[in-house]
Amino acid sequence: MVLLDIKNLTLEIELSGEWVKTLDKINLVIHEGEIHALVGESGSGKSLIVKAIVGALPNKRWRITADRMTWLGQDMLAMSALSRRKLIRNDISVIFQNPIGSLDPILPLGKQLKEVLDIGKIRKSWFWKKKQQKHKMAVDLLHRVGIKNHELCLSSFPHQISNDVLQKFMIAMALASGPKLIIADDPTRGMEVNAKTQILKLLSRVNQVRNTSILFVSHDLLAISSMAHFMTVLYCGQTVETGELKKLRKRAFHPYTQALLDSAPSFRKDLPPKSKLSSLPGTIPTLHHLPIGCRFGPRCPRARKECVTTPAVRKIHNHYYSCHFPLHWEGK
Amino acid sequence: MSNVFVRYFNLMLITLVILSLFSFFLAYLFPGHPIENLTGVRLADISQLENSEFKYRSGESMLVQYWHYMSALFEGNWGKSFNSGLPLYDEITNVLPASIELSSYALFLSVLVGIPLGFLAAMKHHKFTDYSLLSVSVLGYSIPVFWLALLVILIFSLQLGWFPLSGRISLFYEIPKVTGFIMLDIFLSEIEDKQAAVNNVIRHSILPTLSIALVTTTLIIRITRRSVIETMNTEFIQAAFARGLSTRQVLFRHGIRNALMPIFPLLAMQFTTLLTNAMIVETIFSWPGIGNWLIQAIYHQDYPAIRAGMLAVSALVVIFTMSIDLTIRLMDPKRRRLKRAAI
Repeated sequence: MVLLDIKNLTLEIELSGEWVKTLDKINLVIHEGEIHALVGESGSGKSLIVKAIVGALPNKRWRITADRMTWLGQDMLAMSALSRRKLIRNDISVIFQNPIGSLDPILPLGKQLKEVLDIGKIRKSWFWKKKQQKHKMAVDLLHRVGIKNHELCLSSFPHQISNDVLQKFMIAMALASGPKLIIADDPTRGMEVNAKTQILKLLSRVNQVRNTSILFVSHDLLAISSMAHFMTVLYCGQTVETGELKKLRKRAFHPYTQALLDSAPSFRKDLPPKSKLSSLPGTIPTLHHLPIGCRFGPRCPRARKECVTTPAVRKIHNHYYSCHFPLHWEGK
Repeated sequence: MSNVFVRYFNLMLITLVILSLFSFFLAYLFPGHPIENLTGVRLADISQLENSEFKYRSGESMLVQYWHYMSALFEGNWGKSFNSGLPLYDEITNVLPASIELSSYALFLSVLVGIPLGFLAAMKHHKFTDYSLLSVSVLGYSIPVFWLALLVILIFSLQLGWFPLSGRISLFYEIPKVTGFIMLDIFLSEIEDKQAAVNNVIRHSILPTLSIALVTTTLIIRITRRSVIETMNTEFIQAAFARGLSTRQVLFRHGIRNALMPIFPLLAMQFTTLLTNAMIVETIFSWPGIGNWLIQAIYHQDYPAIRAGMLAVSALVVIFTMSIDLTIRLMDPKRRRLKRAAI
C-alpha cells in the first residue's frame, strides 16, 4: 500500500526579489513497511523535502506546488491546515538531525514526551488515573528505545543529557503517537560509531516489529545499505534516480549515483591498496547560480549538448532515473 | 546553588562598598569643610563640631575616617540637612517610599501593557499590526518625559479638569506616616473613609504614572517583540509545529516561557531609566519623592543631602538589579548543573 505519494513537488524560495526553485520536480513514493533512503550531498535539499512534507516551513517566503502530494489517497496540499495538522500529529513523526536544538530547553523531557502521547488511548481511562497512565506510557516508550534510567531521563532538561541518549529519546517521542511513517532526518549526524549502530538498529527494529515505514534521510551510504530497501538519490533539488537499493548498488544508471557509490571505498571490492580514492570534481552549485536543464550537467563526466534541457523521468521496472545519457547506454 | 548566592552577594557587597567610598569622598570633593559636609552642621556651632570631630575622627587617616563614617551610617546617623536641619535618615525614609511607589506603579503598568502588545506585534510580524505598533512605540520612545508630563497636565488637569494637578493626596486627608507607602498607610490608619482616600490617591497618581510608563512601555514592547520573533524562529518551535501541535499549544507550552526568559534581565535594567524619569516627573507633579527632594537639595547646595540621597538611590538600584538577576539565574534551568549520570 502506498503511504506517501509525491509527484513533481516544487519548492520555490524568494531570494533577493526572484523566485528560485530549491526543489525541482521531486518524485517520492513511500510504501507501507519499507525503509526508504533519501541520499544526497549536503545542500541538495534533503531537509527541505522533510520540512515540506510535515509543513514545518514558515509559509511566507516559500511557495510549494506539486502535481500530486497525497497521504493514503488524501491530497495533503488541498486539505485544511487543521486536518493536515491532525494527520501529522497521528500518522507522521519526524526525528530531526539536531536533537538538542529541537527540544524545548527549559522544559523537562518528561513533559515534552507526555505532550505528544496518543490522546486516544488516554481518553478511555478515568481522569484520576490519567496522570499515572501517561507516566506509564512514557516509561514504556523509554524502555522500548533502550533508555533504562527512565526517572532520571524524564526529569532532566535536554542540555543535561548526552547527544545519543537524546536522539534515542527523540525516537521515543516519534513513536509516541504510533505513527505510520517516521521521517528520520539524518539521525546519526556527528555520532560515534557505537551510538550510531544502536540508533540504526533501533530504527530497523521499529520498522520490523511495528511495520512502520521509515524515510531515512542521510548521506551515510554504509548505514543506508545495511538497512534500507529503497533509495532515492537527490542532487541539488532534483531527484536523480530512484530504485531498489540492491539493484541500484549493482547497476546505477545515473552518473551521479555511480559517482556517489564510487566515493564510498567500502562499496568497492576491486579497489587496490594505496590507489587514489575517486571523487567528483567541483561542488554543488549555489542557489543564485543554478544551471538550466539537468543541474548535474556542469559536473557530469558524460554531459553533452542535450543536457541543457531537463531530462524526462525514465523507467525500467521499478527503477526510475532522469538522464539523457544513462550509464547502460554504452552504444550511443 | 549556594556558590551562586555567594557570588552574587559578593558582587553586590563590593559594589555597595565602592558606592559608600565614593559618597565618603564626596564630602571632601564638595566645597566647604568636610566635617560640615558630613554632619550637615555649620562650623559656627563649635561645641557640636567638637562632638562630630570626635565622632568622625577628622584628624586621623582616611581609612579610619571611612571606618567611622560607615559605622555612623549603619547607626542611622546620616548627618543633617543644611536646608531644613532635620536628620537626613528621617527625610530620606520619608521621600524614598513615595518614589518607589510611583516607579512600581509605572513598572507594573508598562509590563502589563508592553508584554502582551510585544507578543501581538511579534505574532503579526511584517503585517499591519506589527508596523503600527512599532511606529507608535518609536513615537512614544522619542517624546521627552518632561515635555509629555507638561502636556498631560495641560490637557487632562487644566483643560479637562479630570485629574488633580499635583501632589500625592488631597490635603483633606491626614494620613499618619507608618511605612511611607501611602496605600499601605491608608489601610493601617484609623481614618473614617478609607475608600475615598484610596480613590483620591489613585486619581493623583494616574498622570505621573502614565507619563513615566510611556517610555518604559515602548521599550518593553520592542524588547518583547524581538525576543518572541527570535524564539518563534528557533529550531525547537519549528520541531513542535512538525509534531503536529497547534499554534496555540506551541505558543503557550513552549513559546511564552522561552521568550520571557531573556526579557526579565532587560526589564530589571529598565528600572534605572524608570527611576530617572520618575525623578524628573516628580518635580513637575510636585510628588514628594526622592527626585523632587534631591533636585531641591541641589538648588540649595545642600551637600549632605546630595551625598546621602545619591547613596540611598544608588544602593536601591544596585540591590534591586542584583536581586532580579539572582532570581532569574536561579530560575533558569539552562544554567543548572549537568547531572553527568549514565542513562
